[in-house]
Amino acid sequence: MYVDEEAGLVRLTISSSFSSKPVTDSSFRNRTRPESKSESSPSLRLDSTYNLQRNSTPPCSSLRERGRSSKKMKYGGKDDQKMKNTQNEEYYLGDDADEDSRDGEGEKMNTDFSKLELKPDHGNRPLWACADGRIFLETFSPLYKQAYDFLIAIAEPVCRPESMHEYNLTPHSLYAAVSVGLETETIISVLNKLSKTKLPKDMIDFINASTANYGKVKLVLKKNRYFIESPFPDVLKKLGNDVVISKARFYEPYGGDGFTVGKTSGELEAGHGELLNAAELAAAAEEKETHSFEIDPALVETVKQRCLPSELNYPMLEEYDFRNDNVNPDLDMELKPHAQPRPYQEKSLSKMFGNGRARSGIIVLPCGAGKSLVGVSAAARIKKSCLCLATNAVSVDQWAFQFKLWSTIRDDQICRFTSDSKERFRGNAGVVVTTYNMVAFGGKRSEESEKIIEEMRNREWGLLLMDEVHVVPAQMFRKVISITKSHCKLGLTATLVREDEKITDLNFLIGPKLYEANWLDLVKGGFIANVQCAEVWCPMTKEFFAEYLKKENSKKKQALYVMNPNKFRACEFLIRFHEQQRGDKIIVFADNLFALTEYAMKLRKPMIYGATSHIERTKILEAFKTSKDVNTVFLSKVGDNSIDIPEANVIIQISSHAGSRRQEAQRLGRILRAKGKIEDRMAGGKEEYNAFFYSLVSTDTQEMYYSTKRQQFLIDQGYSFKVITSLPPADAGSSLSYHSQEEQLSLLAKVLNAGDDLVGLEQLEEDTDGMALQAARRRKGLMSEMSGAKGFVYQEFNSGRHKSSGQQSRKPRDPTKRHQLFKKRFV
Amino acid sequence: MVNAIKGVFISCDIPMGQLIVNMNNSMPSSQRFIIHVLDSTHLFVLPHVEKMIRSAIAEFRNQNSYEKPT
Repeated sequence: MYVDEEAGLVRLTISSSFSSKPVTDSSFRNRTRPESKSESSPSLRLDSTYNLQRNSTPPCSSLRERGRSSKKMKYGGKDDQKMKNTQNEEYYLGDDADEDSRDGEGEKMNTDFSKLELKPDHGNRPLWACADGRIFLETFSPLYKQAYDFLIAIAEPVCRPESMHEYNLTPHSLYAAVSVGLETETIISVLNKLSKTKLPKDMIDFINASTANYGKVKLVLKKNRYFIESPFPDVLKKLGNDVVISKARFYEPYGGDGFTVGKTSGELEAGHGELLNAAELAAAAEEKETHSFEIDPALVETVKQRCLPSELNYPMLEEYDFRNDNVNPDLDMELKPHAQPRPYQEKSLSKMFGNGRARSGIIVLPCGAGKSLVGVSAAARIKKSCLCLATNAVSVDQWAFQFKLWSTIRDDQICRFTSDSKERFRGNAGVVVTTYNMVAFGGKRSEESEKIIEEMRNREWGLLLMDEVHVVPAQMFRKVISITKSHCKLGLTATLVREDEKITDLNFLIGPKLYEANWLDLVKGGFIANVQCAEVWCPMTKEFFAEYLKKENSKKKQALYVMNPNKFRACEFLIRFHEQQRGDKIIVFADNLFALTEYAMKLRKPMIYGATSHIERTKILEAFKTSKDVNTVFLSKVGDNSIDIPEANVIIQISSHAGSRRQEAQRLGRILRAKGKIEDRMAGGKEEYNAFFYSLVSTDTQEMYYSTKRQQFLIDQGYSFKVITSLPPADAGSSLSYHSQEEQLSLLAKVLNAGDDLVGLEQLEEDTDGMALQAARRRKGLMSEMSGAKGFVYQEFNSGRHKSSGQQSRKPRDPTKRHQLFKKRFV
Repeated sequence: MVNAIKGVFISCDIPMGQLIVNMNNSMPSSQRFIIHVLDSTHLFVLPHVEKMIRSAIAEFRNQNSYEKPT
């Protein structure tokens, strides 16, 4: 049964793009030990292995024994399963176990794995594969690196603590795997080689079913027109006759079946050797004759969505053969020699340019890990016109700067297009940096910008580079993509999570996820800072908690738990400690404007929020960067993404935006940029931790709920949060503010007297993700609050600004629809 | 003459004490159950409400703790 392993063939040949060096047999040397023992007791219970996890890390989601209904395997149509693996079958799971796992599938997932058979040399293999598509990876295995590179290509990471990673096979992740050039057989055989147990048949079927149709259809942009291309006419016919797609299709005026037949013979010859390997060459050479039809550019996205696994199951590949593109003019830019991509940046680029062509997709790297270098390198490799989209004007400037820093692009080839600087675009190829809002803006534009937009619309872009893709609402994307026609799209982000679950939209709007870095590996490599995360528990004081519980204060709850004197004292203590003992630079984040001003005033520190003018902002940040006296700055939500403060290495978070996981990760990202010497930062070095992330939480309040939720993303990345309960130390006494009860009571009175609009959240215009979050949370409240009759004698309405509190200006009703009694009333 | 009242002696931390007091205050006066607030961490209440208080506190804590959906 173990023929191929027993013969010593366990050499891993994961194709070159995945393993940095071929694995030799030596890593399996100790497999010669007697194997009869493991053979005789083949049962294994997964739960025993989880003790390896660090205690401080909460268990990952699926370690709880609970069946998942949504992630059950979906099988495609039976006729699609052309790929039979009969000859392989005997290598995999025997019949009896197979039946067993199928039985379980009906009502609930089987979580008893004691029947799985272990391979005799399981100790050397790093993976546990479960029938429901979940895969567990031991990170202490000698094969970890290779296995990780392979898994990240075929599966979705769920949770990655220090010793054990969890992955999930999904149709989308397999789609991504195929689109980076892996073949079904390769996926199955490598997975089988890495797995400790024989691969469950369910999983093999699943992989076969989900990959059978991949790569058969392509979406091509030629001379500003979109075509669907396929070497298989019947597949194309099926697509063309589909209800949705036929609407988008342009029919040729002169009858026929409307397919254009073109010859594309062996496009790939020698030349771009270094990135190619045999398997990919074979894949590329098979296209001899392609059939195609044209579709409406405005409906490209619906067509793409229609083709996804959940519907027609013919996901379209988008590849751009930029080397053979003679239509669009070349852009003369190279990477400067001092731009040395780090190994993981190199790896992510190799996924994108796997077979000498450029693929669309998303690259996920942590903040501070050098996303912009990846973007610039991609542009420099494609060497065509490039449109770079950022979230705001500040990052537009930063991107333009990065382009000039890393590449040899000339100043006249790059232009910025924001509301402040509208630089016209000269020459026939170049880089344009702008914001999503500028492109998607629906209203009337100035004549000047109208011209620039028109120019963008008429141009064919080689690369569409999209920064922070997670923040942009799908609607805006659609608009941007319909306006700009690009051959290849690259999305960059650090946090591929949204609270409104729109993240899967990106799969068809941009493309599959090409690469995702493991945060902890980058920390170990010294590429990003090693952050100590801590949650500081501050008990509520008696008076504050009494007010917190009162129903009439439900709108002030947030203000009450943020202004909790114990929290203030903890914050003051931390600031003092880090400023005086360590000489650190500190950022304090507060979403709540009222708290922000109160804290900043009391502690006499500078603060920046939405309304702070640009001049003042730069002045404060400049002082923070250079002056020895300004070591702490208070930031509101505006500091989450855009403000770049590489000097800071401590974050104290006093209030946050409900349960947004993304905000937590982005805030952590502010201090991730590595500082100091690399030797000091390695484990055991002089300062193992050189960055600190404190989140202050008032216990027994809603904040506990939010705080735990917010941490989930970082925990999934392998971070652990230390809980600190005794801050400030008891002997701090009156050296900190709000020691006496009178002071605390006057603070309480201040909070209670502040108007509701003052204590609320700061609303920024572009914050749509946040809105979704607020809408989703239900609150308990009184009916009288809803009607506005909450004991108010007089209230002023300002229809423009108060919309958020539920009052909207009423239009006068049509008099004819009035009740009889009031019909004669004047309007 | 000495009057004896049977009751339950509760000791808790400050916030939970406040929670119980607040619960008591939100009831109509016939149903109030606190006999004496001894100090901010000790209360003396009627014997039959023990279960009710326990469940109310459990519910309150549930609301404030997040469980990752699976």
